[in-house]
Formats: sequence, structure tokens, C-alpha cells
Amino acid sequence: MHLTLVGLSHKTAPVEIREKLTFPAHRQEEALSLLLATPDVAEAVLLSTCNRTEIYAVTAAEVDGPGAIIDFLVDYHDLDRHELVRYLYFSQGEAVIRRLFRVVSSLDSMVIGEAQILGQVKEAYEHAFANDASGRIFNKLFRQSFEVGKRVRSETDIGENAVSISYAAVELAKKVFDTLEGRTILILGAGKMSELTAKHLVGNGVRSVLVANRTFERAEELAARFCGSAIRYDELFEWIRDADIVISSTAATRYVVTKDKLARAMRGRKGSPLFMIDIAVPRDIDPDVNELDDVFLYDIDDLNGVVETNLEERMREARRAEEIIAEEIVAFERWLESMEVVPTVAAMRAKAEQIRSNELEKAIKRLGGLSEKELKTVDALTASIVNKMLHGPTARLKQTAGEKEGYAYVEAARFLYGLDANPEGKSPHTGLIKSLLGKAEKAAERAAEKASKKEMGDTIGC
Amino acid sequence: MEQAALVNYWFGMALYMVATVLYAYHFVAKRPLFSWYASFATGAGFIAHTASIVLHGLATSEIPITGAFNSLSLTAWALVLIYFVVEHLVKLKLYGVVLVPAALISMAAGQISLRATGVELPAEALAQLDSWRVTMHVVLIMVANAGFAVGAAASAVYLIQGVQLKRHKSSGLMKRLPSLTQTQVLARRAIMLALPVYTAGILLGIIRAIEFRLDYWWLDPRVMMSGVVWAIFASYLLLHYRRGASGRLLARLALAGLVAVVILAVFARTLPTGFHIFGL
Repeated sequence: MHLTLVGLSHKTAPVEIREKLTFPAHRQEEALSLLLATPDVAEAVLLSTCNRTEIYAVTAAEVDGPGAIIDFLVDYHDLDRHELVRYLYFSQGEAVIRRLFRVVSSLDSMVIGEAQILGQVKEAYEHAFANDASGRIFNKLFRQSFEVGKRVRSETDIGENAVSISYAAVELAKKVFDTLEGRTILILGAGKMSELTAKHLVGNGVRSVLVANRTFERAEELAARFCGSAIRYDELFEWIRDADIVISSTAATRYVVTKDKLARAMRGRKGSPLFMIDIAVPRDIDPDVNELDDVFLYDIDDLNGVVETNLEERMREARRAEEIIAEEIVAFERWLESMEVVPTVAAMRAKAEQIRSNELEKAIKRLGGLSEKELKTVDALTASIVNKMLHGPTARLKQTAGEKEGYAYVEAARFLYGLDANPEGKSPHTGLIKSLLGKAEKAAERAAEKASKKEMGDTIGC
Repeated sequence: MEQAALVNYWFGMALYMVATVLYAYHFVAKRPLFSWYASFATGAGFIAHTASIVLHGLATSEIPITGAFNSLSLTAWALVLIYFVVEHLVKLKLYGVVLVPAALISMAAGQISLRATGVELPAEALAQLDSWRVTMHVVLIMVANAGFAVGAAASAVYLIQGVQLKRHKSSGLMKRLPSLTQTQVLARRAIMLALPVYTAGILLGIIRAIEFRLDYWWLDPRVMMSGVVWAIFASYLLLHYRRGASGRLLARLALAGLVAVVILAVFARTLPTGFHIFGL
């Protein structure tokens, strides 16, 4: 069995391709049943968002997992295989776990640290679970991935700092006013950018919106969108006295707000701060107004600077998130390795018991005429020998299962006790864990590499 | 009993020390859970400290208001009391980072001052102290001073945050400090609360001075300095409510007021004139 991932994202494919490969919620049941109808796929989860489509699957060991999933994608979406493959990425084994944990922690998102992806992965898993497409491995893997996502959000500040201009404006406004509830914003100029910023501020509780524009009708239009009021352009400085936040984005080529005029307007404000955002180019507000007491002016470059600093901070936090992911991968691998211990121990005990009872039966026949008490004693003796013989190996097997390379002991036990049906005593499960983690492939690659080196050595040296 | 008072004093100090470390960790690492532990340690320390003051009073059969040790201990006690009021009013744990260490330092200084030999008070001075008015005068002035300290701490935070915002720096410090309006409101409320208490404390002192027919009581350096402190904080409120003064000006005024309080409490008492000699 292999852990396999095939997908594409905003990093590998343009939207024209991404939109062709979506799996909307109402079609996931059908898609999952088609995917699982093939014997090659044992478990599957379809993650489909605007930025990525990823198919996580547990595929049969003997098949080409990525190939099987690509075939499914080609058939399901009726696409050209050669065209599609150019945009896809594939992972197998441990890389799948890492990728899922990174995706759910939003390290692979367009905006690092965004919170939506965790919910989207949860939704994808719930679809798979509801349609019996997830089994023992994915139930554990995805549930653990949600814990990873939560850990990353709670133990790092990855989602803390605003990384868009409008959110940065909201974040800064909160550093001036604490809460935006009940505040008044004055929009100067009816531009798109100021509208977007105002929308975010209103979404954060701003109570009233005032709009001033050279064309009064446009001011009225924009004010109506926020249930606000339009004000006359020439009355601007009278209204600034009532405003807490000013967003300016006019097409004026000179400063609309100058230091002198604003200083006069500030006299009537009783010391309450004024936060000004100038997103116009050329600027509408004289930068000198920042020198006035209680006035805090940010232009587009200042806001960009804040966003850049925040992005850098998120990148720093992303490194901490990678450490958490590495820990969680180890935890998942240990779980996988311990997964086979219990059935192996049970099989060892069952086999020993079978041997004991067969041999006991033969011995009793040979001895003949044993009393009830003697029979019980012999039975207890053999059971005790078997138990004592098995106690050490089974206890140590359980103990080592949680350790690194514990799977090797499990495989060795299965081989030594001949627990599997084939004549060589080789487990049909042998390589399950290795293949799930991609170790079989790595080992094979290493062997091939070794062989090729040897070949090369032979060619060059000998 | 004196022994129990001392044990409680040290226990209170140890708990404030733990709270200081926890508040600092909370400030740096932004872990809300640690601020809760810090509040708990501060609360426990406050109980131990209160017990120490009560036990000390019972052991000496007098209200512990005289001497440097008692002054510093009461200052620490009032600071923590005011801090809890602040935390309740504005739900800000940040001030614990400043005020709890300040209380700790005050207690430690009190402990050190015990080693210094105190001044024997003359019988006349002891007679002046023998009144509930003097006790209330001292307690009210201590509580008011703690309120002024909170107001000044909030004002200092306001100025730091204001500079960060003016310089357009999106630093970790800016993110950790509270908003300008929060600090403004806290400073104003603390001063509004402290000034009437201070006024009452001063009036009780004046009444006692008149009762005792002290000549030229107003020429005492501490009395004069307390007038300066009162004038600064009264101007603060006046400038805010009547003139709508800027936040920066008010914050600077609050800091100037705290400087005056420190001069009064530390330096004015060392001058060899006046009748305020109880604190030495």
C-alpha cells in the first residue's frame, strides 16, 4: 500500500486549468465512488478549493499510484493526459504526510497563514468519511492533520499580522482606537481602493460613514452602499472634527488636506486621535500633518511597508511551523509503525497455541491412561512454557514498536515465526509500512544507485 | 506575631517575584495563560502582604504608617491594589508588567531600609501622630500616589505607542502595547480617581496641622511639594475637559506629575526643615 498524492495548485497551474479540475461538494460522492471502484485505490480524499485540487489516496503496492489517479482525473474531467500532466505534482510516502500537514497549516497557501484552508481540508475529509472513502490510515492521518493545523495557529503567530493593505489599515486603526465599534470614517474621494478599505473597517464595527467627493452624486452613491451620508466637499474640514478615521483616494494633483487647515480642524476634537489613510497617488494629504499631535498619517508606501514587515514575520513563524510539522510527521510514522504490532503479537500467540495443542494431543495419545489431574498438569505445564517463551519477544516487540525503525522488528518477527501463508515465511504485509512511508522506494532507489555506481565503477576503474 | 508578619512579607515578595517573571514572559511570548498565572501569583502575594501589614500592626500595637519601611510597604500595597482595580476596569494585563515589579522594588527597598537606623521621634511628634486623621491622611496619600503612578505608567505607554505609530513602525513592541485610546482612558480614569483621594488626604493633614496649631505649616517642603503635585494633576484634568488638550501634552503632564510625586516622597522628606519627619 502507498500513500499517494496527485494535485495541482496556484503554484503550478493557471486558473484556466484549475477550474477544469474542480470537484464541487455535490459531485464529490460520485467522484469518490468512481475513484474507489478501481481496485488500485483503497482510501481517498478529494481536496478542491479555488487554489488547489489535490487527491490523497492509499493505493495498492503493486500499481503505479499516481498513474492510477491521473487516469481517473483524465477520465472524470475528460482532459488530455499529456496536457494535464504538465501542471500536476505527485508525492508518495512520507512526502504526502508532509504536504498535507503543510497545506493544512497554510504554509502552501497563496497567503501564508490564512485560516480558510483548515476548514476546507476538514470539509474534504468529512465528504470522504461520509462516503466510506476514508479508512484506518486516512482517519488517523487527516484527524492528526487538523491537530497540526490547530497547533500551528495556536503555537505560532502565523495568522496574526495583516498581509493586505486594507487589513493592515484595520490593524493599525485598532492600535489607535482599540475597537472600531462606534467610530466614524470619512471617505474622501469615491475610489475603489478607499471603498474596499472602508468595507473592511465597516466590517469591524465602524458605526457611521461620511463620504466627500467633488461630484456630490458619486458621494451619495458610495454613501448609500454603506448606509452612510454624503457631505459637501467644501465642508470637509468641518466634518473632519467628527471623524475618527479618514481614508483619502481622490484624483487630485495637489494636497487636499494641508497641515494648516487640519491643525485648525483638530482644535475642536478635544484631544481625540485622528487616523488618516492616504491611498491616493499622487498623495492627497500633506505628509507634514503627521507632525501634528494626535494625527497619525499612513500613505500607500507606509501601508506597504507594514504589509512587508508582517509578511516577513509570517515567514519567520512559518519556520516555527515547519518544526511542529516535523514533530507531527514523526508521531504519525510511529503510529504507522505500531499499527502492525498488535495483529503480529496475536498471530504469534495463535500460532504457538496451535503448535502447543497439536503437540499436546500427540503426547497424550502416546502416553495414554493419564488421570484427570495429570492431564491438567501437563496442559498447564505446556501453556506455561509457551507463555514464558513468548512473553519476552512480544513485550519487546510492543516496546520497540513506538521507536524509530520499529517496523523492522515487526517484519523480522513475522519472518522468524513464519506468520504468513507463503512458503518463504514472508509476510504479505511486508513492506506495507515501508511502502506507506515510501521507504521501499527509497531503499530500491538506493540499491539501484549503488548498483549503478558499481556499474560505473566497473566501467571506469576496471 | 512579628515573626509571622516578616514571613508573610517575604512570602508576598516571593510571589510578586514569580508574578513579575510570568508577566514578563506573557509580554514577550504573548501567552494569555501565563498572564492568568501571573494575576493569581499577584493576588496571592497581595493577600500575604496584607496579612503582613495587619500582623505587624498587631505586633507593634500601632498603625504601621511611620518610618521608611512602612511607607515603602504601604506604597507597594497601594500599587498592587490599584493594579487590580485597573485590571478589572480595562481588562489589560500589560500594566502588571510595570506595576508588579514596581511594587516588588518598593517592598525590597523597604526591607533594606530596615537595616538603616531610624530616627527617634520626639514626644511632641508622637502626639501629633496620635489621631485617626493622620492615619487616614497617610493611607489616602499612598493610595492616591499609586493612582498617579498608574496614570503616569499608562501615559508612558501612550507616548511609546504614539512614537511607534508616528514612525510607521510595525514592530513587535507596537503589537504588544495597547491602543492609544485605551491608554488615554486608563490614565484619565486613574488620575480622576486619585486626585479626589489626594485632595482628601491633604485636607485631613491640613486639619491636623491646624488642630495642633503648627506655625507656618504651609512652609513645610512636603506640604509645598504636595501643592505642586495637586496642581499638576488638576491641570491635567482641566486641560482635558476644558481645553481638549492633545494626548501627547497630557501624557507628558502625567509623567511630570509622577516626577513631582517621587521628589516629594524621596527628596523633600530628606530636607532638614518642616514638621514632616515621621517618614524618616
